[in-house]
Amino acid sequence: MLRIAGLAKRLGDFALDGVDMTVADGEYFVVLGPTGAGKTILLETLAGIYSPDAGTIDLDGRDITRTDPKNRGIGMVYQDYMLFPHLTVGENIGFGLKQGKADPARISESVQETAALLGIGHLLERTTGTLSGGEQQRAAIARALVLQPRVLLLDEPLSALDTVTRERLRRELKAIHRATGTTVVHITHHFEDIFALADRVAVMQDGRIVQTGTPDEVFRRPATEFVAAFTGMENVYCGISRVRDGEAAIDLGEIVVRTVTAIEGDVCVGIRPEEVILSRRPFESSAANTFPGTVTEIRRNGMFSRVVVDAGLPFVAVLTRQSVARLALVEGEPASVTFKASAVHVFKR
Amino acid sequence: MFPRRAALPRPTPFKAFFLAVSFALIAYMLVVIGGLVTYPPLPALIESLLSPEILFAVELSLVTSAVSTAFCVVAAVPVAYSLARFSFPGRGIANTIFNIPLALPPLVAGVALLIFYGPSTFGKMLSEWGLDVIYTPLGIIVAQFFVNLPYMVRVARSGFETINPRYEHVARTLGCTEWGAFRQVTLPLAKSGLIAGLVITWSKSIGEFGAVLMLAGATRMKTETLPIALFLNMSTGDLDLAVAASVILIAISVVSLAVFERYTGGRGVF
Repeated sequence: MLRIAGLAKRLGDFALDGVDMTVADGEYFVVLGPTGAGKTILLETLAGIYSPDAGTIDLDGRDITRTDPKNRGIGMVYQDYMLFPHLTVGENIGFGLKQGKADPARISESVQETAALLGIGHLLERTTGTLSGGEQQRAAIARALVLQPRVLLLDEPLSALDTVTRERLRRELKAIHRATGTTVVHITHHFEDIFALADRVAVMQDGRIVQTGTPDEVFRRPATEFVAAFTGMENVYCGISRVRDGEAAIDLGEIVVRTVTAIEGDVCVGIRPEEVILSRRPFESSAANTFPGTVTEIRRNGMFSRVVVDAGLPFVAVLTRQSVARLALVEGEPASVTFKASAVHVFKR
Repeated sequence: MFPRRAALPRPTPFKAFFLAVSFALIAYMLVVIGGLVTYPPLPALIESLLSPEILFAVELSLVTSAVSTAFCVVAAVPVAYSLARFSFPGRGIANTIFNIPLALPPLVAGVALLIFYGPSTFGKMLSEWGLDVIYTPLGIIVAQFFVNLPYMVRVARSGFETINPRYEHVARTLGCTEWGAFRQVTLPLAKSGLIAGLVITWSKSIGEFGAVLMLAGATRMKTETLPIALFLNMSTGDLDLAVAASVILIAISVVSLAVFERYTGGRGVF
């Protein structure tokens, strides 16, 4: 178990400001936050690159706050791979093993095993510059994994990749995590990573953790305005997607949402509150989704109001105050929820 | 680097003027240097090149510059790395102090060294141990080291600064000590920058005159490096030997400049 308490570190413009978090053994823990929230410093402090100004880091009951990075058993993978350009792919992966007193035959065996797990077994003799982004990231992950770290830190490992590669590597990360059981702390600013990978999520803002929970909890009950705004996807529900003729019907239990996607099976959908249209009565339009319901909450927030309509599932909509007045929306009165198929964002669970 | 526009197909008066100035100066430099090399008749030049005095000067220059360059490299690597990587109180001042010899006339540096190694307590102490710096070949090395260390520091620092520190961070998480990460990752990645620095430092120490003159003196066949040989033979009117020393210095400059450009990829360090 990795336990972080009151961790603080100031470094140039970035700062950690009292980070508390606990990661269970074997957990896939995702830290979500915008650029500049201090996520990379958090990882580098966990890895021991920086010594914290205050707070403690505790791994398996051992205080490692001041332990040298090489003795922590924590692996680190950066967004920009950081493969050593003067070594081959194989030498990169074997780099950590070579630091110990392992015998060369054992090293080469472990390197091949790990490379095979990552699907880069055929690239070991290549120089790093000739690899694609996805291959480089696999090599970087293999280099950290081959040491069987207690904790694997991934700093935006998918951000530098194109969409297709990212999608594939994301699936592989999940498979690798399942196969090795390694505890993973993964930093990202893509909320898609959360639904695909995370057991639990921590949302980071201005150097502190503002919310921790399962992906569902964080998205459905954002603890702060910031979390809601950052995720921007308050209406997140999970269900089963069935695709026919390019059109998907996603069964969310209470209701079935229509959209256009190729993703089938277990999915989550998100609809931004500003894309939800409210009306007093159901109306006919080109929008594919209309559900009658009841207004359960109207909350004013500056020029806008957040209106919650229970239409089988609670939908949050953001309206101007004038619209609320014009429609004469009142808590407890009926109202309909309408949104276009294209407003439904689908991600794999 | 921004793309450059072609000047030739349709030269405007502006382009023509600027290019003309450039080519005139190139011609001027080539004529001046070429004139020196071709001044003595070839047999006389060869004879001078093979004279005992010039051979001595070549050997002394090669040995002293090799030793002083080696010391420069060994000393400059930790300094350059510290300036590139660490934040510490007085970093800015340290940077300036290491640059002082760049701006200081070598003659002045030489006088300062002369006083430090001569009448000062330290100088007397060294002399009691049998280490005589003044007017000896050892003085040549000391003078070259002092004047050229900043060049090595500058080039090496610029080399270290281009290396992403995350390489070292990763190496540390992979089980390296700080020393290990430096040796196995940073040094190999900084290699071309260090070689470039080494070449420019070596070439500058071969050509060092003012500081060497002050500290080691100009004694024929004792502290006579190539620039000193040039100076001595000029002052005695022995032009052929002076030109021979110059030709060797020109050849060394051209070769080392070519090597330097190759290892820095033409990116300016100074």
